[in-house]
Amino acid sequence: MAQEKSARPAVEVDNASFNYREIKAVDRLSLQVPRGISFGLLGPNGAGKTTLIKLLVGLLKPKSGSIRILGEATSRKTAHLIGYMPQLHSLYSELSAMQNVDFFARIYGLSDKKERGQKVEDVLRLVEMWPRRKDSVMNLSGGMRQRVSLACALVHRPPLLLLDEPTVGLDPELRVTFWDYFTRLTGEGATLIISSHTMDDAAHCDSLVFMRAGTVIAGGTPDELKQATAKPEATLEDAFLYFIHLGDKQHA
Amino acid sequence: MPSHALTIAGRVIRQLIRDRRTMVLIILVPLVMMGLIGASFPDESVLDYIAPAMIATLALFFSFLLTGISFLRERSQGTLERLMASPVTRLDVVVGYLFGFFLFALAQTSIIIFFTIYVLGANFMGELWQIFIFQTVIIAGAVTLGIFTSTFARNEFQMVQFIPLIITPQIFMAGILWPVEQMPEYLQWLSKIMPLTYGVEGLRDIMLAGANLLDVGFELAVLIGFTIVTSILAATVLRRGAS
Repeated sequence: MAQEKSARPAVEVDNASFNYREIKAVDRLSLQVPRGISFGLLGPNGAGKTTLIKLLVGLLKPKSGSIRILGEATSRKTAHLIGYMPQLHSLYSELSAMQNVDFFARIYGLSDKKERGQKVEDVLRLVEMWPRRKDSVMNLSGGMRQRVSLACALVHRPPLLLLDEPTVGLDPELRVTFWDYFTRLTGEGATLIISSHTMDDAAHCDSLVFMRAGTVIAGGTPDELKQATAKPEATLEDAFLYFIHLGDKQHA
Repeated sequence: MPSHALTIAGRVIRQLIRDRRTMVLIILVPLVMMGLIGASFPDESVLDYIAPAMIATLALFFSFLLTGISFLRERSQGTLERLMASPVTRLDVVVGYLFGFFLFALAQTSIIIFFTIYVLGANFMGELWQIFIFQTVIIAGAVTLGIFTSTFARNEFQMVQFIPLIITPQIFMAGILWPVEQMPEYLQWLSKIMPLTYGVEGLRDIMLAGANLLDVGFELAVLIGFTIVTSILAATVLRRGAS
């Protein structure tokens, strides 16, 4: 049974729907994410990316369809398998960077003081915030807060990371640094699901889906998606527009 | 005991301690208020009669306000969403907040009690430790009421509007300024569902008539029941706006 679970994809979404009153945020969406890759959810604002991430993390329950995380149906029991970085910084501004990370380490069950201390230090060093660990979050810049927020999601070393627009508002240098972290994490076996609306992020993903109006309009590796346009110089932006037009034609 | 409640309580305490200005205000504001109220009384007998009611009211008011605003911030800054995505339960959050704020509310109430008795010179008959036990129950109810109420506010402006809605009617209908029996019958019924009515009645019995905790068992039971009910309500509606 355990073997069967470990062989299953990191995420399985089967025909899931969710609506906020009349607005269909996620509409009969299905996708599978293999383990150990960085997987992008790309789409414009309002495409349903954040709602999908909230469904995956268990904050929302699908109105229909099913969702499995690492072979298990989403529930409180799967919460410790996930590292979640919300769109907002979602940190306690009066507390220091280290106190924030330490708090989430405790919440995720790292009860041994020595082990927890080491993991907090490791993750703060990873995001290059160790020298500023004692500073209150309110005194940190936006980019630094993003790094502390990422550290809070990583500290318990979850096998699955759900990062909601983690690179938004970052300067180009920090964006590159973040992608270095992400590559290192997938190298260590973690699965990353990253939502974004920038094609620069899309190009870094091992695999991705384009989303629009709560559904997946196309999926594949960045190269596969570009090749689908049949234009040799096509960018991911061209590919996104190509699939939007294709969808519009099919609907017409 | 919910397993993560103490972790959350520890974080709440650390957060407040690091906010020095709030810490100073927590100590200073009740002193200034009690000082002004005390100075305005014409003679000692009025002070003796009003003191228990003021102690109960200020404890309810400050605890409600402090918890309500803090919990609202937990919601608006997105940390509640993060907590709800973690392995903690809703009861962990409510009990954690209850423990965390309890400490500060107790500190505030101690300042109020000592100032009223030793600076303003209010006379009292009951035992001091029994006054404290009774006060802790009032505070517990105020903290859980604050968490529950904050669920219905989206920002600090809205939360502040709940003070005239939830606290002020209790001040006028709990028998602080005039006996409950002198109010119209429908208001007397309304006063019966207000926790401050039982807080004021119980504390007056202890401080003015020398009653013990067993004598005010009914008031104590109502206040404990109120805390349990508001805790359950707060835990039930906690996720509102967190996702």
